[in-house]
Amino acid sequence: MALLLALWEALARLGVLDPFYAPPPSAVARVLGTLFSDGEIWPHLQATFAAALAGLAAGLVLGILLGFAAALTPLLAELLEPVMILLNAIPRVILAPLFVIWLGIELASKVALALILVAVLVFFAVYGGIKEVDQRLVERVRTLGGGRRVLIREVYVPSVTAWVLGNLKVAVGFAFTGAVVGEFVASSRGLGYLLQFAQSTYNAALTLALIALIMAFVLLLFAAAEQLERRALRWRYA
Amino acid sequence: MLRVRGLTVGYGAEPVLEGLDLEVPAGKFVTLLGPSGSGKTSVLRCVTGLLQPQRGAIELDVGASEIGFLFQDDALLPWRTVRQNVALGLRIRGAARAPAEQAAERWLALLGLEGFGARYPRQLSGGQRKRVAIAQVLALEPKLLLMDEPFASLDAIVRTRITQELLRWVERNNLTVLLVTHDLEEAISASDTVYVLSQGPRAAMRARHDVPISRPRDLLEARRHPAFGSLLRSLWNDLSGEPAAVDSAM
Repeated sequence: MALLLALWEALARLGVLDPFYAPPPSAVARVLGTLFSDGEIWPHLQATFAAALAGLAAGLVLGILLGFAAALTPLLAELLEPVMILLNAIPRVILAPLFVIWLGIELASKVALALILVAVLVFFAVYGGIKEVDQRLVERVRTLGGGRRVLIREVYVPSVTAWVLGNLKVAVGFAFTGAVVGEFVASSRGLGYLLQFAQSTYNAALTLALIALIMAFVLLLFAAAEQLERRALRWRYA
Repeated sequence: MLRVRGLTVGYGAEPVLEGLDLEVPAGKFVTLLGPSGSGKTSVLRCVTGLLQPQRGAIELDVGASEIGFLFQDDALLPWRTVRQNVALGLRIRGAARAPAEQAAERWLALLGLEGFGARYPRQLSGGQRKRVAIAQVLALEPKLLLMDEPFASLDAIVRTRITQELLRWVERNNLTVLLVTHDLEEAISASDTVYVLSQGPRAAMRARHDVPISRPRDLLEARRHPAFGSLLRSLWNDLSGEPAAVDSAM
C-alpha cells in the first residue's frame, strides 16, 4: 500500500497523472487535515454514524426477530421468505429515493435504508442458521430430557449467534452503505452529503479524502466486530 | 427392562426393518448386530422416541428419564465447556448450576479427565470427547443404556480402553445395556446375548446367540475363551450367509 501511494504521488508530481482527476495523496491528506482542523467534518461524521449505527441496531433486532419467527413458525416462513428473497435479489439501495419520499431528507430515511440492508442479511443468517442447526445436537438435548425451551436456549440461540456474529462485519459495511447512499441521494449533512457536494463541484481531492475516511471508519468497525466475535465465540477460537 | 414386539420401522413405503422381537432383561448386556441399512439405529431411535415405528410395540420398565443414549457422534455442544456439557443433563432436570458442575467434575475425574472441565470440545482429542459424552450420559445415572456404535470413530487401542472402562462401570452398577454395532468381536466380548439382523430393506431377526463367557469380562481375555471362536464363526455365517473363508485367524 505504501509503495502504491508513493508511486501515485510520484506520478502526480511528474505530471503523468492529471491532478484534477487523480490528485496526489499529499493533497488528499491536506484536505482531510483541513476537514478535521476547522471542525467542519464533525457534524457530518455524527450524522453518518448516527444513521449507520441506528440502522445497524434496528436491522439486527428486526432481522433476528423475523428470522427466528420464520424458522419456528412455518406459516410465517411462507409469508416472509418470498418477500426477503425478493428484497435480497434487488440492489436494495434503489429504495433510497422511496424512503426520502416517505420519511423526508433527515435521519429517518437514512436509518431506514441502513435498516433494510442489514435486516435482510441478518434474516437469512438467522433463518438459515436455525434450519442448518446440527440435528445431532438437537437429538442429544432431546435425549437428555430437553424440551423446546431448552433447545432454543442451548442449541438454537448459540448456533444462530455464531451465524449472526459471523455476518456482523458484513452488516456493519451494509449499515454504512445505507447511511452514505441515503445521504448521497438527499440530505443536508453526512459524509454522503459531502460526497455529493464534492462530486457536484468536481473536487476529486475531497472525494478521495471522504472515501478514505469512510474506509478507515468501516475498517475500524470491522476490527471491533471481529473482536466482539472472538470474545463471544471464544469456544471457536480456543 | 425392554421388550420390543413386532417392530416395523421405515422411512418410506418399504420398511427398513420388519417384525422385530427383542428382549433386554434387567442387568443384561444385549447387542444388536447387523449390516448397514438393517435398521439397527432405528430400533434405538424408536426406544428413545426420536422415531415413531410404523407398527409394533415397545415396552419399557423404566421411564424416559432413566434411559441414557450414547450416540455414534459425540454431539457435545461446541459452545459449552466440557464441565457444562457433562452437567447439561442434570441442569435440564432441575439441578442448580453449582451442584451440577460439581457432579460433572466428579464424573470427569472418574473418566480420567480431571482438570479438563474448563476446556472446549474442540480442544480435546476424539477419545477425550468420547469420554466426555460418556460422562454426560452416566451423570444422569440411567438404568437403561442405549449405545449406537459409540466407539466406531476411535482407533483400536483407544476404543478397547474406553469400552473396557465402560464395561466395568456397567458390570459394577448392574446397568442394562442395548448396544448396536457391526463389530463382531466387540459384540461377543461385551455381551450376554447377541441378536443378528439380516440385510435391509425388510430386515428381520436372523439369529440369536447367548454368550457363555462369565463376568466380570476382560475384553482382550474374552477373545481367548473357547466359545469365542465358534461364536465368531456363527456370527460371520449369520451376517454373510456363507461359511467363514479363513479358519486360522480364529
